[in-house]
Amino acid sequence: MLPDYALLFIVLAPGLAALIAGLFQKQITDRGAMVLTTGTVGLAGILSIIQLFAFAFGGHGGETHGEHGEAASHGLHHVITLLQWIDVGQFQADWAIRVDALSIVMMAVITGVSGLVHLYSWGYMDEDPHKARFFSYLSLFTFMMLMLVTADNFIQLFFGWEGVGLASYLLIGFWYHNKAPNDAAIKAFVTNRVGDFGLALGIMAVFVVFGSVEFEPVMTALKENATVTPLALAEAAPVRELVLPFLAWNIPALELIGVLLFIGAMGKSAQFFLHVWLPDAMEGPTPVSALIHAATMVTAGVYLVCLLSPLYEYAPWAAGMVTVIGAVTALYAATVGMAQNDIKRVIAYSTCSQLGYMFFAAGVGAYEAAMFHLFTHAFFKALLFLGAGSVIHGMHHEQDMRNMGGVARFMPFTYAAMMIGTIAIIGLGIPHTSIGFAGFFSKDAIIESAYSAGLLGVSFAQMAFWFGIIAALLTSFYSWRLIYMTFHGPRAEGHHHEDPADSHADDHLDPAHGHDHTPHESPVVMLIPLGLLSLGAIFAGLLFYGPMFHHGAAFWGDAIYRAADNDVIHNVEVLKEADPNPHWWVFWAPLAVTLTGFLIATFTYLFNRGFGRKIAESGGPLHSLFANKWYFDEIYNATFVRGTSWLGGFFWKTGDKKIIDGLGPDGITSLVRWGSRRLSAMHTGYLYHYAFVIIGAALLFGAVIFWRVGGAG
Amino acid sequence: MGNFPILTAVTFLPLAGAVLIMVVRAMTGSQESDVASGNKALVAGLIFSVATFLASLVMLASFNVGEPGYQLVEETSWFANVHYKLGIDGMSLLLILLTTLLTPLSLVASYGSVKERLTEYTIAFLVLETFMIGVFCALDLVLFYVFFEAGLIPMFIIIGVWGGADRIYASFKFFLYTLLGSLFMLAAVVFMYLQAGTSDIAELETFAFAPEVQTWLWLAFFASFAVKLPMWPVHTWLPDAHVQAPTAGSVILAGILLKMGGYGFLRFSLPMFPDASQMFQPMMFALSVIAIVYASLVAFRQTDMKKLIAYSSVAHMGFVTLGIFSFTEVGVQGAIFQMISHGLISGALFLIVGVVYDRMHTREIAAYGGLVHKMPVYATIFMLFSMANVGLPGTSGFVGEILTMTGGFQASTWAAAGAALGVIFSAVYMLTLYRRTVFGQITNPALESIKDVNIKELITLVPLIIGTILLGIAPNLIFNVTRESSLRALQMITGG
Repeated sequence: MLPDYALLFIVLAPGLAALIAGLFQKQITDRGAMVLTTGTVGLAGILSIIQLFAFAFGGHGGETHGEHGEAASHGLHHVITLLQWIDVGQFQADWAIRVDALSIVMMAVITGVSGLVHLYSWGYMDEDPHKARFFSYLSLFTFMMLMLVTADNFIQLFFGWEGVGLASYLLIGFWYHNKAPNDAAIKAFVTNRVGDFGLALGIMAVFVVFGSVEFEPVMTALKENATVTPLALAEAAPVRELVLPFLAWNIPALELIGVLLFIGAMGKSAQFFLHVWLPDAMEGPTPVSALIHAATMVTAGVYLVCLLSPLYEYAPWAAGMVTVIGAVTALYAATVGMAQNDIKRVIAYSTCSQLGYMFFAAGVGAYEAAMFHLFTHAFFKALLFLGAGSVIHGMHHEQDMRNMGGVARFMPFTYAAMMIGTIAIIGLGIPHTSIGFAGFFSKDAIIESAYSAGLLGVSFAQMAFWFGIIAALLTSFYSWRLIYMTFHGPRAEGHHHEDPADSHADDHLDPAHGHDHTPHESPVVMLIPLGLLSLGAIFAGLLFYGPMFHHGAAFWGDAIYRAADNDVIHNVEVLKEADPNPHWWVFWAPLAVTLTGFLIATFTYLFNRGFGRKIAESGGPLHSLFANKWYFDEIYNATFVRGTSWLGGFFWKTGDKKIIDGLGPDGITSLVRWGSRRLSAMHTGYLYHYAFVIIGAALLFGAVIFWRVGGAG
Repeated sequence: MGNFPILTAVTFLPLAGAVLIMVVRAMTGSQESDVASGNKALVAGLIFSVATFLASLVMLASFNVGEPGYQLVEETSWFANVHYKLGIDGMSLLLILLTTLLTPLSLVASYGSVKERLTEYTIAFLVLETFMIGVFCALDLVLFYVFFEAGLIPMFIIIGVWGGADRIYASFKFFLYTLLGSLFMLAAVVFMYLQAGTSDIAELETFAFAPEVQTWLWLAFFASFAVKLPMWPVHTWLPDAHVQAPTAGSVILAGILLKMGGYGFLRFSLPMFPDASQMFQPMMFALSVIAIVYASLVAFRQTDMKKLIAYSSVAHMGFVTLGIFSFTEVGVQGAIFQMISHGLISGALFLIVGVVYDRMHTREIAAYGGLVHKMPVYATIFMLFSMANVGLPGTSGFVGEILTMTGGFQASTWAAAGAALGVIFSAVYMLTLYRRTVFGQITNPALESIKDVNIKELITLVPLIIGTILLGIAPNLIFNVTRESSLRALQMITGG
């Protein structure tokens, strides 16, 4: 672990850099802001990665473990308290930096990817007139995300949670003069707020049950099944047996909290029902998509569930919900990803789908697998996004894959990087060996864990396993489809700017800006991040399979908790080594479906180029369903959006104007006018009339009181 | 400090300024042009209100934070058994500071913005300030009532004289509603005096009214405070009053006058009528949640910037009543905090609307769009306060909302869930407003030459920016001061 001042630097310096770059952009100029933010975050990234390696492979790391990870775990848990934040009765929350295995991994992912994205943006945003603002937002995001993962209480977590939401909102809407980014930004913020509705209520429930919003006492009570005395609503009981009345229902407290907090996670991590904002978020600049909407922010929900493993271990229904939603998202997003034509949207749905894998892993109790996949996914997904960004940059802000093709020969480095990213995401590797790309280790770990959990009788685990297998097939298909449509085949010509709906992404460029439309390879500042992320996409799985998954118990220590009867991960090893092995096919199934997906894509998009377009044009119902994202936007617009708007108008025009004002002041006015016309002798001094009525009423009221109390007194 | 009557000084310093301006004006007559003498009066008024602010800092320094009960008490006999008695606790201290901060800022904001009858305008504000401070430090029920009612008059005049086109309708609506509430309260005040034989607030707190009496008295006070706050369904005067009031009037109205309702519930309803307060808890929760959800939805449909923010105020004051009537420390502390925080945020938002209104003379949202291209500093400040208004953590808006909801959760999960819905809707209307006014392309050619915020406007906004962020990061500055008042109010309701 790093000394305190280094930790302070990692977490706080990006925030300070963001502040300086944002507020003093005139004084320090664009270049100054770029150097400052990139330097700060880059240094934080180097420190965090050193810390991760030292932690994983250093003295107290994962080597000194027993065969099945039952060695004494190192309970690293270090908290630096910065400032007391809220102190009201038992509601205590500090500004703090919590360092444990979870936050060490997250810090490395966040600052590592963020540093590279900062660097990449030097090239990508080169022509943008608002560079200082952009880099300031990027660093602000990094700071908020770090605050989220280093919180030692639910309130600071919420601060980071909403803070990354703000940064995401600002960056999605970075090109704020256009309609689409503005719409997308608001959609993202509001959808996340729907999730936060659950998160906030969950935190309130935590406070009521545990009398605290700090992690330490809450986790301890959960692990020890301590008897807690809720502040209200219920009698004291062991926490796992406590039942809380919520709205019209009586719900076990842990299930209630688990479900509410997971609703928050669904919003942030774009899971089924609350996923609608993520594809639209692609309106933001591509480096943003790589950092926020792939590698880091969207994984916050997974992080939350893993952090609260002591809770989900004893909330089987909530965990079941996590599994189902995760599995459904994994499959759903993969189906939609197959039918998208915008290169970024394909990758966005892919992200959605991969997050689903992480969730169902956590749901079945394989938290280590979830975090491991979160870790490897950050590399190859950021790589894919930055690669796509490089293509978009090289293609002069073309995003429609139908207008691409044959780009490989113009952009060989980008092509290589995208190939590495694709092989990593489809999880190519040879079972029972250590040969494979990053996704092979982590995705297979998840699929095997789900299978193992299914055998152990964990609810919905079998369903998750099969959904995971099918989604793996689809993943391979859409990933190769992307490669073939973009990089292979003949150059598509003459598609530029024909369709205004497709070309909004390049509106931010000066229309007079002259380019010939030949693709070109991206500058070196953009290729360096691609190279480094490629290394991660190749080796991250191999290097960290041992510490993070195989011997995860020692690595994660107290940060991830498993109940005594949660044998899911250990059982994977048992299944793997059984002899004779009736489960052998489970370990080969991912490879089989991956190759199948590859073959189908190769057949339809490489050898029979145009076949895919034929399917699209034939417009079958299944294709329409996928291409239109299962009509979620249409359904939500027709119900929630229009319903809310109608209700607002109804309350305003009918509620306020007709009923309240009509019966209230306006009604009195007309009544008095009517009365005075009748009495006719009266003058029309309004105030006098009002006062007359009011004083009369008050006298009447006084009389009533005296009459009522006359009896009492 | 010895026996220097600091509270009297703070209370009446603005009134002294008003009198001085009147005297000078009477002596000089009409020798100078109206504009020049008006500007002089405004500067004089500013000097007095700044002096009041400084005096209130002396008051703060003399205040002993950890000490329960009322402090800096001053008392002399007035008439009958009624006393001129002033004193403060943590809650009133902070509300007075808010008043003495917002008044000079309002006067600064009026410079160059209000052009007619500036002398009278300044006088009205100074008189109003005295009454507002008086409300928060009066420890005698009759004295409180006098301040409470008197404050109505200058605000009525400010809206009626310096307001917009429909100012007459708005000011009468305002007057009608508040007077209606006040008269019920008057009846209750007289009755309490007759029954308890005293109008001393501290003594009334310990006087045990019979439960059925409490019910009626509680309702009478409720009529007044609910209108002031305002609570649904007696809130419709507020949007009209805000739309018609000049910018500074809106700042004071949203920043201070609304807080008198919350203050009243905590100072009178809870301690003096504890049984009735308990009894009416479900009703208060229902009204609070309706206010939050209903007003947020209505805000979304507004086409006038000020009306939108006015409805947003109604929603945010719903959190105050939710917190107060949760009868928990978290809820009550959160409610007081929310009042202070909303004073800063809504004040700032009305100033922000005022900035563009002064330039364009319209509050129609549709007349704007693309301001960010011409007014980057303005856009940044507007963004900050939009986020504060939607309760983003790190701003003061968050702390009040989460605590009042948490308090509400302990008493009723329905109330907490309803209020949390409002948190979603607040994001909808606020971000939509921001997007329609600030983002996008400039479509109105009149905006092409619009200027960014000037020094005068920065002077009014910067203190509120600092306050909003400081209280968002270190809210204990407030909680430490209000802890004793909150616990005292709670003790009376749960322990007595």
